[in-house]
Amino acid sequence: MTGNDRAVIRNLATGVPGLDAVLGGGLPEYSFNLVAGGPGSGKTTLAHQVMFANATVERPSLYFTVLGEPTLKMLRYQRQFSFFDPSVAGSAIQFINLSQEVMDGDLDEVLQRIIGEVEKTTPGIVVVDSFRTIGDRAAPSGQAATTSLDSFIQRLALHLTSWEVTSFLLGEYAEQEQRSPVFTVADGILWLAQAIDRNSVVRKLQVIKTRGQAQMPGLHTFRITNDGLQIFPRIPERKRPQERLKGKRLSTGVPGMDEIMGGGIIAGDAVILTGPAGSGKSTIVTQFVAEGLRQGETAVVAVFEEYPENYLAQATRRNPMLGEMVRDDKLRIIYLRPLDLSVDEALAAILDAVRELKAMRVVIDSLSGFEVALAPTFRDDFRESLYRLVGTLTATGVTVFMTAEIVDGFSFGRFTSEKVSFLTDEIIIQRYVELEGQLRRVMAVVKMRGSDHSRDFFLYDLTADGVVVGATLQDYHGIITGVPTHREESAKNLPLPGALDRTGTQD
Amino acid sequence: MARDSMPAMLPETPTPRELARYLIGPETAEDSPGHTAQLATLATFERVYRDLSRWVGSGGCHALFTRALAEARIVHPLLGGVQLQARSQPYLQGTAEIVDTHGGPATAEALEAMLVAMIELLNRLIGADMAATLILKSLPQSTRDAGFPNEKRAEA
Repeated sequence: MTGNDRAVIRNLATGVPGLDAVLGGGLPEYSFNLVAGGPGSGKTTLAHQVMFANATVERPSLYFTVLGEPTLKMLRYQRQFSFFDPSVAGSAIQFINLSQEVMDGDLDEVLQRIIGEVEKTTPGIVVVDSFRTIGDRAAPSGQAATTSLDSFIQRLALHLTSWEVTSFLLGEYAEQEQRSPVFTVADGILWLAQAIDRNSVVRKLQVIKTRGQAQMPGLHTFRITNDGLQIFPRIPERKRPQERLKGKRLSTGVPGMDEIMGGGIIAGDAVILTGPAGSGKSTIVTQFVAEGLRQGETAVVAVFEEYPENYLAQATRRNPMLGEMVRDDKLRIIYLRPLDLSVDEALAAILDAVRELKAMRVVIDSLSGFEVALAPTFRDDFRESLYRLVGTLTATGVTVFMTAEIVDGFSFGRFTSEKVSFLTDEIIIQRYVELEGQLRRVMAVVKMRGSDHSRDFFLYDLTADGVVVGATLQDYHGIITGVPTHREESAKNLPLPGALDRTGTQD
Repeated sequence: MARDSMPAMLPETPTPRELARYLIGPETAEDSPGHTAQLATLATFERVYRDLSRWVGSGGCHALFTRALAEARIVHPLLGGVQLQARSQPYLQGTAEIVDTHGGPATAEALEAMLVAMIELLNRLIGADMAATLILKSLPQSTRDAGFPNEKRAEA
């Protein structure tokens, strides 16, 4: 025997987006799997997706229905999903009802019926829904019945494997029931759950066991849409590229801003721009996107606070080319459903768009809206999740420009309200100041990892064409108080030039 | 046969009546003395009941036929004497008495109406395309091979 003699275990593509990655590369062929979870957790839909993705006339899928949801109702609902092809029902996908055999309570009869159908049709996939009801009917009480169920599961598993069948037993199990023999025999166990936090429900999947390959550990969120289940793998933190794109700089598209950043944003960096409401955060990131598009790049914008149409309408007022770029799919604006979102779902949507467009610039506008859009259960670990999100995005080489709103527009006590400055390479802050009796906007670059940048505060204006960075405030001090004073005037203890005295007469 | 001729080939999207007659068709071909339209229809019922029971269960199938019988009785009161016996052979009982009273052609027409009602019901529940595909599975393989427009072969 050599190492080359070992049996190669092929993996089946499940047809469930995201699930193959969680399973560690797909579903091991001929494996005997348990899909467990509460009512409405998506077990039946998941099984149908796998069947429709793999069934052929030569190797059909057999779906054994037992007591529980009537077959007609199941078909009525399942066929609403886009993956359900009714033309293969009855041929590549065959439904077989075992209710009578199970009601009779004779496990041998149930087993013989399954074996008979398997031998007759030589299926590639077999599903038993709900396996739990078989166990309940077989073992209402007593040790003898449990032994009988043990034997039934062993014989079923052996037979299905011998016939080279990949099988799924679906059942409603509680966590404390994991001592059931089916959990021991199963090669793979998928657990589907619905977590409730306040009024929010989040679906989660866990692969408890997959024999022969390393699954992705942890709880993975998923959503059920018209296309069935979509899993959002909980992607572990990824390492940033060692070489930061050889020091390439990206222009912000904001006149005067590249200069104060030492030549522009460092490509591949994560940048955060924080400021109060109305300070022009969205305008700046839109200019950043528009500049990239002008240079032939592609971009992705994730918005959380308004619908993409509204966002685009605002953006095109200053940058009319953006609408055309959206139509040409050079710019994609992603609107992520608010209030029950997971960070992994957001990451999956952004990553998909980045890959499809080969985007170089990503905007997240804003982190404040993102946090609100999350289901409450994910808000507690927002920083940790955001850390993974930013790390994963920048690991692909894209430049990520995020905005965050701060509540106190006059104080410089904190850079961000999200306490996420640690995860960014570059931090730009915006604030309001009172200057010569006027409310003015100022910005400063606080941090640029590995790069020189201006340390000055700069005035900036929101013009019809966008943000324009103006003069420095070198002649003023006390800017961080929100009420700066001119150095010379301060020295003389005189009011600021142009300021009015108490009597209302000008100097 | 008293009724219109059976369609040799099924249209791409058959009406419930066309589908019902297509199902009955193979039974009418039986070359035996005394074979009648109502016997052909009864044989079709038994076949469809057996096959549908395989995938919706005998209970589910019985529920479908019970509703179909109730629908058909509105137009064909003579079906009042028909009884459905789940998990028994034959499934439809009491038809001989109806033939004696109302004659073979009228009985066959009423039974066909019941089959049509069952197909219409199935269409509403799971869609006409899937209903047709699944119902046609009750036909003998030779008949399906001869003209079975709905089955789409999945790519291997």
